[in-house]
Amino acid sequence: MRQLLSLLLLSLVALFFAPRASAADYHEQLVLRPLPLSALLASFNFRSNTTLSAFEAHNFRFFPRSLGQILQHAGTRELHLRFSLGRWDAESWGARPWDGAREGGTGVELWAWLEADTDEEADRKWRTLTNALSGLFCASLNFIDGTRTTRPVMSFQPEGNHPNSAMTNVHLLYGVLPHEVVCTENLTPFLKLLPCKGKAGIATLLDGHKLFDASWQSMAIDVRPVCPPGGECVLEMEQTIDMVLDIERSKRPRGNPIPRPPPAHELKCDTAKPYHSGDTCFPADYNANQDWSLSQIFGKTMKGTCPLTDPNVPPVCLQVPNSRGVYITEGATEKKNLDLVSRCYEIAPDTPEFEMVLPRPESSEESGQAVAVQEVVKPETPLLYAERSFTGHGQEHGGVQTILRNPSPDTKVEFIYMETLPWFMRIYLHTIEARIEGQAGSSKQDPLIQEVYYRPAVDRARGTQLEVRMRIPPASTVFLTYDFEKSILRYTEYPPDANRGFDVAAAVITILNPNPNATSPRFAAYNLRTTSLLCSLPTPDFSMPYNVIIFTSTAIALAFGGMFNIIVRRFVAADEGPEMTLTAIKERLRKRFGGLLQKYRGKGG
Amino acid sequence: MPRLLSGALRLRRDPRMLKLPPYLSLLCILVGVVWLFLLPLDEYSRRTYISENALLPGQVHTYFGGSDQNVFRAYKHEVNSLVGKSNVEINDKLESIVKGLGLKAGRQNFTYRSAGRVYSGENLYAILQAPRGDATEAIVLVAAWENAKEELNRNGVALVLTLARYFKRWSLWSKDIIFLVTPDSIAGPQAWVDAYHDAHDSARVDSLPLKSGALQGAIAIDYAKEGRFESVHIVYDGVNGQLPNLDLINSVVSIAGGQMGMGVAIQEMWGHNDQYPDRLRTMLRGMLKQGLGLASGPHSSFIPYHVDAVTLQPFGDGWQDEMAMGRVVEGTFRSLNNLLEHLHQSFFFYLLMQRERFVSIGTYLPSAMLVAANFTIMAIALWVKSGQPEGEAEPVKMEADGIGSGETTRAPAVERDLFLPLGVVTICQFLAVIPFYLFNHAPDSMLTPAFTIFAVINTALPHSLSHLLTTYYTPSAQQYQLIKSFSLLLLGMFLSSLATLNFSLAFLVGLLTSPLTFMRPWPQSPAMRTACTVLLNAVSPTAVLVAAAFAWHLDINTVLREAAFAWDVCGMYTPVVVWCVWWPAWLAGSVTVLGRPEVGKTKQKTT
Repeated sequence: MRQLLSLLLLSLVALFFAPRASAADYHEQLVLRPLPLSALLASFNFRSNTTLSAFEAHNFRFFPRSLGQILQHAGTRELHLRFSLGRWDAESWGARPWDGAREGGTGVELWAWLEADTDEEADRKWRTLTNALSGLFCASLNFIDGTRTTRPVMSFQPEGNHPNSAMTNVHLLYGVLPHEVVCTENLTPFLKLLPCKGKAGIATLLDGHKLFDASWQSMAIDVRPVCPPGGECVLEMEQTIDMVLDIERSKRPRGNPIPRPPPAHELKCDTAKPYHSGDTCFPADYNANQDWSLSQIFGKTMKGTCPLTDPNVPPVCLQVPNSRGVYITEGATEKKNLDLVSRCYEIAPDTPEFEMVLPRPESSEESGQAVAVQEVVKPETPLLYAERSFTGHGQEHGGVQTILRNPSPDTKVEFIYMETLPWFMRIYLHTIEARIEGQAGSSKQDPLIQEVYYRPAVDRARGTQLEVRMRIPPASTVFLTYDFEKSILRYTEYPPDANRGFDVAAAVITILNPNPNATSPRFAAYNLRTTSLLCSLPTPDFSMPYNVIIFTSTAIALAFGGMFNIIVRRFVAADEGPEMTLTAIKERLRKRFGGLLQKYRGKGG
Repeated sequence: MPRLLSGALRLRRDPRMLKLPPYLSLLCILVGVVWLFLLPLDEYSRRTYISENALLPGQVHTYFGGSDQNVFRAYKHEVNSLVGKSNVEINDKLESIVKGLGLKAGRQNFTYRSAGRVYSGENLYAILQAPRGDATEAIVLVAAWENAKEELNRNGVALVLTLARYFKRWSLWSKDIIFLVTPDSIAGPQAWVDAYHDAHDSARVDSLPLKSGALQGAIAIDYAKEGRFESVHIVYDGVNGQLPNLDLINSVVSIAGGQMGMGVAIQEMWGHNDQYPDRLRTMLRGMLKQGLGLASGPHSSFIPYHVDAVTLQPFGDGWQDEMAMGRVVEGTFRSLNNLLEHLHQSFFFYLLMQRERFVSIGTYLPSAMLVAANFTIMAIALWVKSGQPEGEAEPVKMEADGIGSGETTRAPAVERDLFLPLGVVTICQFLAVIPFYLFNHAPDSMLTPAFTIFAVINTALPHSLSHLLTTYYTPSAQQYQLIKSFSLLLLGMFLSSLATLNFSLAFLVGLLTSPLTFMRPWPQSPAMRTACTVLLNAVSPTAVLVAAAFAWHLDINTVLREAAFAWDVCGMYTPVVVWCVWWPAWLAGSVTVLGRPEVGKTKQKTT
């Protein structure tokens, strides 16, 4: 009976899937790119589509129901959610993956286009959305309140295709939590949204231990409507995980994660040094760390492929020069791309496990440096380098300095620099200044700062929003600086770790597409975020209030009696008042008792 | 209460009150000094304790060692091969090593000019970015190429390189680690820290090309000693007597002394038996260093920026090797890495008398305050006294009569002639600019002659000023009282505020100026006048400077050059205190002693 039932169920499932499952609805891909300095970028991308009509009819297939219902309830047109940790080292790793479009600043970042008639309604829906997402992703997204929410004007444009009529009453809200620590509890709900969960396909490689040991990682969820020309509009959901693993650190076995000094004979030494001997070793091992296998890096092998994925999209791609040899499991086929620096692997559906080994390049043993360059694809130069730091010291004033460098020798770069600052950093807008390194000021004809949008903070209600459109000439470094004042918080407004300082969210830099046209309609050519900052505010000694209370109580207790006495007592001159000498007392006594005495005497007499 | 008040009011009129202040002042000084000497006793000092629980010093196993020693030997060879080369060549080589480790490296040039000398060099630093962190916080490991005694810090630099390679392997760092190699121990770190906080003068110091987050702590290694060592010496004095948080010192003591089992010393007390004499000696050495306010090592420059820092120096002959030193640094860094908040829990104002015994500001501050208060008491007494008629016997009799007859006859108030006293005190204060400017701007070769000439003039100055005064103005006894009163008032005010910033300096200056409280004109007694003049000359700033230089076998030139350097580079304010607080008070006091007041002048005025 049970067999029959399961058979029936299976056939039903098959029936259900067969007519509708167009293969292009879901695909997943892992791109591995070794980076210089013994790092490896792994980009996981999962994309699923649902037609808008199906979505509106609550008919969920690849699109996760939990998220879909939240989006419908909060009237969300387009949603972008980012969980990030660490920093991208642009100097050594070059341009960011996805041109920076799939990453956020440290912590959690959320921006969405909400459908609402008024600003108040948008705020209400935003609150609903953040609270619901907070529960779904186990993140403190519910702390994105009014002080952390802004409405960017220039920096963000919708990525999806929205009909013009719908865009009139759509509000963009942007919130960021720089102090949120991204960890395993955020990964689990993320994986649950995938059609194959973490059970099959490339998602099996995702392991909290490895992901959160990465030098840089970013988890992104993007939901947007896409209308292909001539086709039905679909709601596209893209989940992306990018991480940069330190190969040496990742290869350490899980049971022995402590980097104890290796035995002396295992040290890789530079034998060319004249003093090289058994007990003296100049290490030469850093760059020569480009051999790895999937199971070493991720701690496990890939468990086959997800059966729901589009078979036309190869699940694993590797970007290394074609000259390097790679060993793969039987059942998978290698396909080298024409660009000579990437290759993809197609995995047969019945392969139980997929493993890939990238051996150490043959010749690198001998001559170290020269070959090391060819081991990895030379990273692309990013359009802009940005670095932000605080200037000044003390607890009253401070400054922010952003160093922006355009590495291109011949192209200008135009971008929008956006800061969302907490209200207790009161910026002085008149001090905002951009200057090119080595020059006194910016020229009048072509000013560096083209346009400024500024929305001042309201104490305890909303933060500062600053958007600056800038243009940087080729091959130059620009210092963007401004000063601010630190406010004093109320006693109860300090967090428990007040002396740590307050996190200031990363600045968002959106590089504008120089010539947006039909072929590249994207509004932003490249995105990047600076690191977040830690702003120390004047912090009271929290034991002080108690000292003050005790001190004032004592002072009042001691002083009050005396003062009260002095204030209410009437002072008269010594001769005016009744004398209080011994004779006076005697006199008074005599007056009072004199009669009695006399009477007594009289009686007696 | 009112009875008490009227009692106090009556007491004010009591002539005996005016006799009291000198004794009260003397009592203040004596109590202040005795108080200080009581501090090392068990009853008044406390054992140190770790206040910040997050530090957990010595709770982690340290792994530095093993084959890292081979690497250390190689780096030592590299460092040795660089000895005698130029700063730039050294940095070229070191930069190639740290870049090979995968760290970001930056360089910074600085040029300071002081006392006609040029102090220039190039700092090299490398940032190990926290593996999973954001650039919000950082801790610093410093090794100066030359330590404060100008010995080559070979082991220190090699150890920093080895530790950089070792730290790179760990993924647990929550803060960036900055490795800083400076050419010298004072100017280099100062230039770097100034530039890190953008508080630098860009004409002298370059900006930093690379930066990280807020600095949370710094450890400097001063390891010039060759061979095995026995104990670690912690140097903690900052510029202007500022100190690092006591928790940092406690952590190092707990890690080096407790976990690693090596000795720990402070204030160059190589052997310490934890008895009263040793504790007192440690405390006095600490106070002297604090009072001088000189930078004592590469860590000193960090402290004014609220970055807690210490220098670790191995000393003695024992069986601890470089790896043990590295493990101490590793343990300390692991503790600092644990910090969630900036070090704020423990004390910033303390006197250490043994590595595990201290007194905090609440206990020691009264002694300096009492010494400073003695000047204020005397100043107020003189002000009151100057308002009363001259001659001491007369008012007593009058008041005695008054009390006897039951009338409240008060001594007739005397008009105070303020112009001359205020003028004299102001001129003394402004004259202070001359020595201050002279000793901070004279070139090196001119310092000793300038000082000699100044010392001679300084001895003659009170005489000539006094002569001028008596010849042209013939000041009265009251005016001399007022001169002294104003000058002591200023001194008391300066010293009591200074005591909260730099206790030791305030205490030392207070002690050296304490004779001024008891100086007065001796019109009738030339012998007393001479004796007082000699005493005052013995405690004049110049004489004390010469005596101190003699006691420590330094030559005056070096002392003045160091002072000028510290003022120009580190912003040490001891010269300001000496020339603008101490010296004017001394000058006013000397003029008072030499004064010959015109007797009877005020009397005529009052009638």
